[in-house]
Amino acid sequence: MPIATVLGIVLAIALAGCQAAAPAPTGTPLQSPLPTPASAPTTTPGTTSGEVPTEAPATAGPTAGPTESPAESPVAGYPLELVGQDGTTVTLEARPERIVSLTPATTEILFALGAGDRTVGRGDYDDYPPEATQLPGVAAFTGVNHEALVALEPDLVLAGGNFFTPPADIERIRELGIPVLVLYAPTFSAVLDDIRLIGQAVDTAVEAEQLVADMQARADEVTTAVEALERRRVFYQIGSEPEIYAPAPGSFIADMIVLAGGEPITTGDPAVFAIAVEELVELDPEVIVVGDAQWGVCPSDVAARPGWGTMTAVAESAIRPVNDTIVTRPGPRLAEGLAELALAIHPEAAIAPPADQLELCPE
Amino acid sequence: MSDIELELRGVGLAYGHREVLRDVHMVLRPGERAALLGPNGAGKSSLLRAITGGEGRRLGAVLLNGQPVEEIGRLRLARQVAVVPGQTTVAFPLRVEELVALGRIPHEHPLLGPRPADHAAVDAAMRRVGVESLVGRDVRELSLGERQLVVLAMAVAQGARLLLLDEPTVHLDLRHQVAVMELLADLSERDGVTVLAVLHDIALARHYFPRLLLVSEGRLVADGLPDEVLGAELMAEVYGIDDSLLAVLGGARG
Amino acid sequence: MSAGVSTPVSAPVVRVGRIEGLRRRPVMLAFAGLALCALVLALGVALGSVGIPLADTVGVLLHRLFGWPAVSWPASTETIVFELRLPRVLTAMAVGVGLALAGATFQGLLRNPLADPYVLGTASGAALGAAVAMTVPLQMVVLGIGLVNVSAFVGASLAVAVVYRLARAGGLGSMTSVLLTGYAVGALLAAALALVMYLSGNSLRQIFVYLLGSFALSSWPQVLIGLPIITLGSTVILLRARVLNAMLLGEETAGHLGLDVNRQRLVLLGAATLVTAAAVAMSGLIGFVGLVVPHLVRLVVGPNARTLLPLSAIYGAAFLGAADLLARLPGELPVGVVTAVVGAPFFLYLLRRYRASYAL
Repeated sequence: MPIATVLGIVLAIALAGCQAAAPAPTGTPLQSPLPTPASAPTTTPGTTSGEVPTEAPATAGPTAGPTESPAESPVAGYPLELVGQDGTTVTLEARPERIVSLTPATTEILFALGAGDRTVGRGDYDDYPPEATQLPGVAAFTGVNHEALVALEPDLVLAGGNFFTPPADIERIRELGIPVLVLYAPTFSAVLDDIRLIGQAVDTAVEAEQLVADMQARADEVTTAVEALERRRVFYQIGSEPEIYAPAPGSFIADMIVLAGGEPITTGDPAVFAIAVEELVELDPEVIVVGDAQWGVCPSDVAARPGWGTMTAVAESAIRPVNDTIVTRPGPRLAEGLAELALAIHPEAAIAPPADQLELCPE
Repeated sequence: MSDIELELRGVGLAYGHREVLRDVHMVLRPGERAALLGPNGAGKSSLLRAITGGEGRRLGAVLLNGQPVEEIGRLRLARQVAVVPGQTTVAFPLRVEELVALGRIPHEHPLLGPRPADHAAVDAAMRRVGVESLVGRDVRELSLGERQLVVLAMAVAQGARLLLLDEPTVHLDLRHQVAVMELLADLSERDGVTVLAVLHDIALARHYFPRLLLVSEGRLVADGLPDEVLGAELMAEVYGIDDSLLAVLGGARG
Repeated sequence: MSAGVSTPVSAPVVRVGRIEGLRRRPVMLAFAGLALCALVLALGVALGSVGIPLADTVGVLLHRLFGWPAVSWPASTETIVFELRLPRVLTAMAVGVGLALAGATFQGLLRNPLADPYVLGTASGAALGAAVAMTVPLQMVVLGIGLVNVSAFVGASLAVAVVYRLARAGGLGSMTSVLLTGYAVGALLAAALALVMYLSGNSLRQIFVYLLGSFALSSWPQVLIGLPIITLGSTVILLRARVLNAMLLGEETAGHLGLDVNRQRLVLLGAATLVTAAAVAMSGLIGFVGLVVPHLVRLVVGPNARTLLPLSAIYGAAFLGAADLLARLPGELPVGVVTAVVGAPFFLYLLRRYRASYAL
């Protein structure tokens, strides 16, 4: 039956994409091949290191309700209207006390903002902080378990845009009368906006500003440190089986690499996620960042690949593993991830190493 | 059901512009029994098809008791005329009595299905043909001969007064060939059923059928008693065989 | 009196045993099946991944369905029982009816035991329609029915229409040629689907989940639109048991038995396609039901469509309702996986046990 053939093909693609997709559960829709309607990134990915815009761009933000001085009487801020990445206006009648977060990034953000005690549910793959794993998981690979979600009686659900949470599931939850705020950050600065947005939603605007400021400071530390250094051609290896998966132009990782003082090598086409080895050889990366190190791929494996020896990065042993989770998850640890990425690109840079670094590929 | 007289007036069959059969005139009286003979491709099956209406375009007129076949409704036609295929294929397990019961489809209520009269007709048909002992058996397990008898029982259950058969004895062993022939003779002589059968076996036809129709190259070239039709010259011409073989056939009459 | 034929060599087989007894009692089988359906319905509403006291479940149903006064239960309980579980079980059972009837119809029309509802390209057409809808950055929901549902329905229907036209245009009117054309068109659509999936980017996961089949997004609007469609198609099929019976010996014989084969074939094809399209629009591609349920029923009661069709419908509903329940108790397994895991071994066992019935 032809459909069996398709399922076979799909299975192959999916298993292959697991390398590429596995990072997805960490919270980052890495590739955004289709321009998301409501939030075509207003920050161009090619921004040079330096200013990371601190004002909220038009991507996502409150449209009505109190926007200034969140420091005054937070509770009086409700009812509150917010607009998520999908363009839908979400109205919160009161301070959310039972929040369900469906993406690893938003879960991390909630706990970082001190709203972890008001979080009652998470996505099955949300793994940080450790306290979060105690919460019941209501969203798995196949979608949201609506029964379990409804049983938690949430008054706010945080979902992932750009198909991270299936739009059909988001729609269904809204049909059941539960407000769903959709978040999606295609760039570093957009992540800061998301943190502010969530802070607004759950009445922790003060903590959000603080977190944003801290992250901004760390990011500034990084961008300052690499400002004077030469931009190196960086290839971020997202996955290596069965094809080499690379960042698409305009993607989140490309943005991060730019901020970290590198020149990202991309697939050249926003809809393409793999790169041919010949092309990679031609583009000749000076640094190879091993993003799939957590899945057992180490620099020695990369160096041993046939045909890769001609690359500058391999010749100079500039192949470095990173904790892909913190580098790509659009959450509170992203600034640390930026630091880790920058150190992988410029080990000589004056950047404090990230706290809790993962032991990857002990050699 | 009344007896049926079958009349063909200038009947032919065409596929597009190609005429495979033309200008057949013939009358089969009620209770008469005739066999259609001829070499392969001569048009025997085409003649049957022209009567039953299948593939191809019918030329001329086919009349049942004087009424053109086109004017008789499909269902009414099925109640009077049964077409017995020479070979049947069944894709699913099907029991003998279930196959015979298919013959009642033209009679049974479209929604409610078979009524007691239909069940009785099925039983009677199986007994008439002599296959009642096969009840409960899967049709695909039967020998070809037994199967052909069961298919005949289906036609009998249909209550048809006109039986059209397309090579009913192909691949059957002699025992069953005889059984089929005897049954057809019985049906026409005792029950008055009009029978027209395409046969390939000349000896069998000669023995069991009082009237033979010889078809050659799309035309009816002979129609009458076996001795008349199976004359040496005509047979040699039609079948392209010589005298010595004819003698064998002539001797088969026994 | 048999006309000169001696009794056939083989002696008649007297069949005893439970299966034979069941075969003679189709009405009893029907009632047993309906009771099973009622049980599946009850369990499906009472059980789920969240535990709800039975008293509350009954209370919610009485309240929402018959206007009984509400006793105190959490609002989430009412939502779960009435907005999530009830429409879901009803959808699963309706889809079970539809797929089983469509499967029986295609098996009868095509005279092929391997036929299932998807054999004429419906699966590939629906999947392609759904995949395109999921990839396009357009979210449209009208009356609770999304673009994906409509797209899948249209895709399935169009695929069959194309197949039928192509088969007829090729000058081959027989159902065998329709089957072969269906296979070819289905393969072509499957290739297109693979391409769409390759280009789909982030929606790949969603498309994959759709291919596995799921009732997770069932809702009342879907039920209110899908159920009548399935009922309509199913009724048309059930009323044409006679046609399927006549087809047992082939189209030519069916014509000789007095049926307008061309017309009836088209009507049955249309009804079966309608039902299948509605089913895949609601739940994605659930395999096995349309193939196995009619076979299982046929093994017990034989190929007579007058018993085969209604019993297939009833047991199809029970089977899929039960499969969905099994799929959602441990979390959210794709229901297509459950139907295959449960159905395949059971079917193999039955084939072995009753090998004689299939003359294997």
